[in-house]
Amino acid sequence: MTSGVQKSGSAGRVGQWLGQAVAYALFMGCVGYFATSPAYQHTAPDQAMLKLTISHPGQSREACRERSAEELAGMPPNMRAPMDCPRERSPVTVELRLDDQQLFNAALAPSGLHSDGPASLYRRFSVPVGTHQLLMRLNDSVREPQLWHEARRQLDLKPGQIVVVDFDSPSREFLIH
Amino acid sequence: MALIEWDDRFALGIDSVDHEHREMIGLINETWDHLQREDSFPVLDFLGEINARISAHFALEERIMRERKYDQYREHKAQHELLLDEIRDIMDDYEDREVFETDTVAERLREWFLGHFRTHDARLHRKLG
Amino acid sequence: MFAVAERGLDRVFGQRLNPFYHLGALSFLSFWIIAASGLYLYIFFETSISGAYPSIEELTHGQWYLGGILRSLHRYASGAMVITAVLHLLREFSLDRLRGSHWYSWFTGVPLLWLLVASGISGYWLVWDQLAQFVAVISAEWLDWLPIFTDPMSRNFINAAAVSDRFFSLLAFLHIGIPLALLLLMFVHIQRMTEARSNPPRGLALGTLASFIVLSLAWPALSQAPADLDFAVGSVDLDWFYLAIYPLVDRWSPGAAWLLAAGVTTVVAILPWLPPGRRGPAAVVNLENCNGCGRCFADCPYDAVTMQPRTDGASFAEEAVVADDLCARCGICVGACPTATPFRRASELVAGIELPALTVHDLRERIQGKTEGLDGEGRVLVVSCRERPRVAESAGVVAVELPCVGMLPPPFVDFVLSRRLADGVMLAGCSDCDCRYRFGNDWMDARVAGERDPALRARVPRERLDRYWESRPARSATAARLERFREALKSLGPYQRNAAATPTREVRDGAD
Repeated sequence: MTSGVQKSGSAGRVGQWLGQAVAYALFMGCVGYFATSPAYQHTAPDQAMLKLTISHPGQSREACRERSAEELAGMPPNMRAPMDCPRERSPVTVELRLDDQQLFNAALAPSGLHSDGPASLYRRFSVPVGTHQLLMRLNDSVREPQLWHEARRQLDLKPGQIVVVDFDSPSREFLIH
Repeated sequence: MALIEWDDRFALGIDSVDHEHREMIGLINETWDHLQREDSFPVLDFLGEINARISAHFALEERIMRERKYDQYREHKAQHELLLDEIRDIMDDYEDREVFETDTVAERLREWFLGHFRTHDARLHRKLG
Repeated sequence: MFAVAERGLDRVFGQRLNPFYHLGALSFLSFWIIAASGLYLYIFFETSISGAYPSIEELTHGQWYLGGILRSLHRYASGAMVITAVLHLLREFSLDRLRGSHWYSWFTGVPLLWLLVASGISGYWLVWDQLAQFVAVISAEWLDWLPIFTDPMSRNFINAAAVSDRFFSLLAFLHIGIPLALLLLMFVHIQRMTEARSNPPRGLALGTLASFIVLSLAWPALSQAPADLDFAVGSVDLDWFYLAIYPLVDRWSPGAAWLLAAGVTTVVAILPWLPPGRRGPAAVVNLENCNGCGRCFADCPYDAVTMQPRTDGASFAEEAVVADDLCARCGICVGACPTATPFRRASELVAGIELPALTVHDLRERIQGKTEGLDGEGRVLVVSCRERPRVAESAGVVAVELPCVGMLPPPFVDFVLSRRLADGVMLAGCSDCDCRYRFGNDWMDARVAGERDPALRARVPRERLDRYWESRPARSATAARLERFREALKSLGPYQRNAAATPTREVRDGAD
């Protein structure tokens, strides 16, 4: 297809080839460079990492109670369970302290529409390398607010090391990896 | 008296084409009327209208030929192009007053229409109609 | 904004191959390179945590002459696709090709960007090197911000013991599924275009492919150190095309990154409707002048005209029907209509299809009015499209503007020259392959060459017609071109129709 226009003004065929080569080189240069550079520093060389992660169902808010005979009689036959256990769970309160600094302290709400699922948490902390004292505390029942599960640990952190703090629900103990 | 009279031989059997042929004949006859009255302005306008109508007619005819895979499409279309050039020639000649004798113009118009019709459109009728 | 760069590239590549006119097609080309190389890579990839990294190392180093090159092609074509897609988007925005009926293309392009980025992210994840670890951990944190998981996804990457092989299989599946969805959406994206250009011209495609190969040989794509979830990632060589948001998630917060992403996406997506565009009425069919010849249907660049069974009882089989919401108001259909000829009597000058904003009747009046003011020798009527800067008028030059140069029915050129309203006609349109309405100059070129109906009659002397295809010419360039044209016209003498009585056109069977 002719266009009736000749794009003149260029330096002839050699100039055109050269220009095209420059254009391609520029484009590919960008592609090649930005595919791997500049580098990004995620963790500084003098830092280690602490990951706090919990997935733990709190205790139920109200204790189970036994239903009286009159109550049972008044219920439809297929629903006459002797114990009435409300589903709602307590929030789980977690506290994490490193040396004398409080890293985390909050109450985690239970998940689910009826608040009967586990409370979960994931937090990442950047901490300097070296020796530290770690204190972890957890309370999972509004009916026993004084009952805390505790653990202390001494950590010797190397650069880039990741320490995971987890809570094992069956054994009700902190796990530190 | 009309310049061209409709003849049933003109019928191709395709409604749209036959309708346009009738229209064309009507236009040519009207042009002939104005030619005889020698009022130049409307003649040019009518020639222009013929030009427009025949362009549209050829466009439609070509579409039908393509769709039905008519074997002499190229030749027939080449004829259309010639005719379009000729009608422009008639228009320009009339405007430049190179040819002012009404009979000559009328004869050219008549021959222009019938010539194509006798040959190419007749064959088209045989093949498609 | 793109004008300077495009003019420079025009000089170097020629208008037909200028990559800036083919950015969408180049994105498609990149996709095919990615897909083809990806298929090969997939054959050798082991979908397990322990096997992923070694299998890629083997491919990259052990099979450097084939697998390694394909891997590099895979990575670089991916990066290139982001560049061409973003340039394409910016260009369409700067040319305001997103309003009215164009909204569909723009709007479907937004999720395309998301799918593209997701494809790349899932790809980097599969390598299971330090970068993949970084991507995994930060992606999980980013997604955890959304209330969709009861158990945070990050727990899957808490340490080396937590990641499972099944997760890897899921990732491999995603890395095929998401690009497939991307491809599907790419085809949806080009729907409202007749003959959308999804292949770049051969010269450009070959040049691009060759440069990719050169780049792959010079800088092979390499994996970084293997992933080890027990140790935090220090420094990573980031692919900024796909992972630019990750430092943001890391340094600011997942929530802030979501806000930014959602905000930008929303603004970009609703651009076609902000502030209201003035479109004018769509093309209108006039049944008295339409016999269903179908030329407007053949020429419309946006599938806005269809041929339907007749509704007015006339003896014609079909009539043209315009879909208002698809019509771009370019007028190319008017240029194609055989009844849009100025030789007709004024009382009947209504074409089978018209743009109400500029009817054929009004166009003729405008041309007649303007050319009356022409004086002297070498008088030129410029018919320009509205994309071009206005042409300066003078005693010897007048200009008329159309939405697109393709709107001008060829008989108008015949009319202006044979009635000596001007000595020459200049058609001023966009650059080749850059017509705002896609086919304006292509159709005009073909009509003038006699290859497309309605053809410009052979009797029209072509020396009196100048086609100036240049989207954003410098004012001096236009003036110089006009000067040259006028000089040439002066030396031609008075108008004479072309001697040829037999048309010189080549009649192609069924081709239009």
